[in-house]
Amino acid sequence: MDVIRAFGATLWKMFAADLVLTLGALASIVVLGVLTSARAVPPGDIPLMLAAMVFGVFVTAINLSVVREIRKRSKR
Amino acid sequence: MISLAAAPIALAAFLASTVEAVEAFTIVLAVSVVRGPRPAAIGSLAALALLVAVVAIFGPLIGRIPIHALQLVVGVLLLLFGLGWLRKAILRAGGALPLNDESAAFAKQSQALEAGASEAAADWIAGLAAFKAVLLEGTEVVFIVLAVGAGPGLLLPAAVGAACACLAVLALGLLIRKPLARVPENALKFAVGTLLSGFGLFWTAEGFQAPFPFGDWAILALVAAFGVFGLAMTAYVRFLMARAPAWT
Repeated sequence: MDVIRAFGATLWKMFAADLVLTLGALASIVVLGVLTSARAVPPGDIPLMLAAMVFGVFVTAINLSVVREIRKRSKR
Repeated sequence: MISLAAAPIALAAFLASTVEAVEAFTIVLAVSVVRGPRPAAIGSLAALALLVAVVAIFGPLIGRIPIHALQLVVGVLLLLFGLGWLRKAILRAGGALPLNDESAAFAKQSQALEAGASEAAADWIAGLAAFKAVLLEGTEVVFIVLAVGAGPGLLLPAAVGAACACLAVLALGLLIRKPLARVPENALKFAVGTLLSGFGLFWTAEGFQAPFPFGDWAILALVAAFGVFGLAMTAYVRFLMARAPAWT
């Protein structure tokens, strides 16, 4: 039971340590998938849009993490 | 494709596996020092046997998945995994999170194992601790190998890279018999984060059947972009953390 719990915690740690980053990246990919299947975007633009969205999500996640850490420290 | 991608794939698997192997080794070493080598060896070997069985069962199933679906799934997983590592490495290097300390982890594990339990129970708990450490960190190694080696002909270089890392950590650990605290874990995490993120973005686009310009060369450009971007973000986080006391 202990091993299963630790295993679950590891999987959680692998993908969900920062939900903003994980969900944001997944949302970007889903949005792009929908746009691709609807042929709403020229195929040549898709990789660059994907890169731009991922970098945007990443910057947001880093900023939120920093704010969270500063708040934590100010409470101590 | 294979010649260009094999070296970075092996390197990514090697660096990522080194980080995981060091973490597992710290706990196995603590078990070995506190309770002797027997529970450490039994726990570690049992976990390795379980990992081998899991890979043997699920590994062949990967070949049955259509290539674009596989590229998309692997790309997304690599991207999430890589971005997570890169984020943590940036926050640690920027001073927002404390650096991982293997000596502290070793002391904590040793203390937990020494805490009152009967002799028989203590051996059982120690073996279980080694089993858990090798299984959990080994799962991450297996995941990394399967993910970075998912392209055609890339599983072997990925597996070789990971195996070399595990053997190197084991050899170094047996030689010095101390926690490998001097391994620059955060720098490794940063490097692996850039590699996995670059590959992840590339494979995700391939999965959409909308590849990046310049074919496989785009991988190098993406990895370099994540590296430069990561360094800039590290400086940015350091800047924010240096001014944080004034804001609170």
